[in-house]
Amino acid sequence: MLADHFPQFRDGFLVTLGLVAVSFAIAVVVGTLIAALRVQPIRALRWIGTVYVEFFRNIPLLVLLFIAFAGLRRAGVNIGPFAAGTGSLGLYTAAYVAEAIRSGVFAVGQGQIEASLSMGFTYPQTLRKIVLPQAIRTVIPPLGNLTIAMIKNSAIIGVALGLAQDLLKEARIINSNTFQTNEVFFWAAVGYLIMTVSATLTVRRLEQRLVIRR
Amino acid sequence: MSYLVDPANWEWLGAGNNLRFILTGFLINIEIALLAMLLSLVFGLVLALMRISKRRAVSAPASLWIEVWRNLPLIFIILYLALAIPESWRDAYESSVPAWFPDAFQTPFFLAAVMGLTLYNSAVIAEIMRAGIVSLERGQGEAAAALGLTYWKSMRLIILPQGLRRMVPATVSQLITLNKDTTLVSIIGIQEVMRQARIVTNTSGSPFTGSGVDAPLLQVFLTVGLMFVLVNLLLSRLSTRLEIRERRKTGTEVEKVTGLEDQVAAEAQTR
Repeated sequence: MLADHFPQFRDGFLVTLGLVAVSFAIAVVVGTLIAALRVQPIRALRWIGTVYVEFFRNIPLLVLLFIAFAGLRRAGVNIGPFAAGTGSLGLYTAAYVAEAIRSGVFAVGQGQIEASLSMGFTYPQTLRKIVLPQAIRTVIPPLGNLTIAMIKNSAIIGVALGLAQDLLKEARIINSNTFQTNEVFFWAAVGYLIMTVSATLTVRRLEQRLVIRR
Repeated sequence: MSYLVDPANWEWLGAGNNLRFILTGFLINIEIALLAMLLSLVFGLVLALMRISKRRAVSAPASLWIEVWRNLPLIFIILYLALAIPESWRDAYESSVPAWFPDAFQTPFFLAAVMGLTLYNSAVIAEIMRAGIVSLERGQGEAAAALGLTYWKSMRLIILPQGLRRMVPATVSQLITLNKDTTLVSIIGIQEVMRQARIVTNTSGSPFTGSGVDAPLLQVFLTVGLMFVLVNLLLSRLSTRLEIRERRKTGTEVEKVTGLEDQVAAEAQTR
């Protein structure tokens, strides 16, 4: 089974990795922006950040995918399945990333921020030069966990949009040609486990190396 | 943006019984979520207890089981079960399901849906519970043993009440995820909110439904999404409230588990 259909399994595996990589980039960029909004002194900006996080964290990813693809297309926006898929997964995960960064920022401690401000740094400078470099270290383990979640959630993209040929989609295609359900899904499961378990082990390693004792 | 807020695109909401139709679907999701939550908590506790067992013959298979199921995509598990559950099981389920269960629960694939949700979530919850239990100071178990309590008595009276209390935020976060994940069962044909919403958005020319409402897809699914947001927000507010009160009363600290998607949310909440 694996030998016969290896190219298909491999292609699906790579598509899943691609979906995760692009979604990850979106999630980190947007998540950082939202986290920055959530620690602003201006109330309206904080509010926007909070609404974003609560909306994207509590909405089912499948609903988001329907809105981003079929919904937008029906509205006349010509969005492709890859953009809709990675955009949805990225924006969804960004809410969690924002929360992770925010708690990382809070972990840095008020004293550091006060010290930096009293030394004449502006507020944005303080965020960029003092707080973020320290916060990043606390943020890496949760980011790793979110990547694992993203690998699993990426499977929803292929199912919901039909057009992204990820690992699960390829498995379903092979299955409909061979009807060897157990074997097909076994090898697809191995594919997913290779991704998630190796990500777990990497996170664990990083965690041990990066831990800061306060 | 003007498309989004254009009143013409929201007319469907007040027309006929569209909203009620979608809400009945949403209720099915809540019912599936409650059933799967109950099963996942029970099996999660059993798996957690097996994994911390001192007998390797018990702990090793439990560890493998937990790691496999929690590291696979839930949609993958559901689709696999829908294809792989033997017909005899489905027939047995169909003939034994109580008649007062909702219609969506009567379909043969419902078994795959609930089994999938339970397999995945019980593995995740087992890991949360285990982290809570092993985070307790060793002295607690030793003191219980020194007082002459048996293993199970010290578990029930000393270890579990403290260990599980620490994990309430993480568990609730996972239950919120479970609640969102009930939408995935629409993929294998369970008639819940996604399918009901789909029907409302069918164009009037559809050969299957005939009398379609032709509501704009974007607005309909935004409404569905907001239903989930509302319920999940209530759930997390409630848990934070309970959490703070409990903690004030008992002075327990919240523990952290790694490898968990929603742990981030739980942690941020408690700060």
